[in-house]
Amino acid sequence: MQKISPLRTSIEAFNKFKASRAQKTQQADKTTQKAQTNPFGITFRGTVIQMDVFEKTNKAEKAENTGLNVKERLQNTGKLLASAWVGTINKFSSLKTNAIAFGNKLKDNTVAFGKKLYEIGNTKVEFDVFKYNVSRLQNKPVSELKDMLSCELQGVG
Amino acid sequence: MNNKRVRNIIEALGKHKDEESIQVLNELGTNCPIDEIREMTSKALIRKNTHEALEIMIVNKGKGINDLSARVAMCAINELLALKDKEEAIKILDDTINMHSEKEVQDTARSVKALMSFSS
Repeated sequence: MQKISPLRTSIEAFNKFKASRAQKTQQADKTTQKAQTNPFGITFRGTVIQMDVFEKTNKAEKAENTGLNVKERLQNTGKLLASAWVGTINKFSSLKTNAIAFGNKLKDNTVAFGKKLYEIGNTKVEFDVFKYNVSRLQNKPVSELKDMLSCELQGVG
Repeated sequence: MNNKRVRNIIEALGKHKDEESIQVLNELGTNCPIDEIREMTSKALIRKNTHEALEIMIVNKGKGINDLSARVAMCAINELLALKDKEEAIKILDDTINMHSEKEVQDTARSVKALMSFSS
């Protein structure tokens, strides 16, 4: 029967820990080789990182991917094109609306300006103060005064 | 119709020396449907103080002192009363009282003559 000594117990415990550590390291190495995602064996709180945090493949490899990926990419491109097309249509429709509004405004302004010009063209510029002065009218012949008065009273009665 | 222009033309015709102006005022002014124009014409014709002009204002039915509008008639009467030389007006009024066929015109002339005799 062996005598239980604290030194032997501690050595055994150390050996067990060492063996378990070695086993864990071997398992981790195997996983790393298999996944090829963590070539440097970086751990986080004792666990080897197996998530795809590194770039798996380079661009050349990506281009040589299977037909399914190409199809997906084509679909994605189609979606992008469609959204771009819809955006363009919206842009064009808003542009069209703005252009029509601008055209209508331009037309209205032109019509108003034309009317104003017509009114100005029909307006007689007269200086009533001089033309219809009593002493000035007195010197005019009666026939002319008669015409003037009948012209003024034209719309009456 | 420009009121100021019409007023000035009528005033100018009233001051005009040409006898034709009386005919123009009689033709266009006294036959106008607007009271204001008839009023202005009455003033212009009475201020002329000529036999022909006063005759139009006193003798004619519906014109001058015989106008259907009381306003126009009163204006014509006031203008007659304001005349400095009333001799010609009284002479025509006398003739109208004695010789006119319409009794209504005679009565109006009589009233105006009475007013004129009081005012002078």
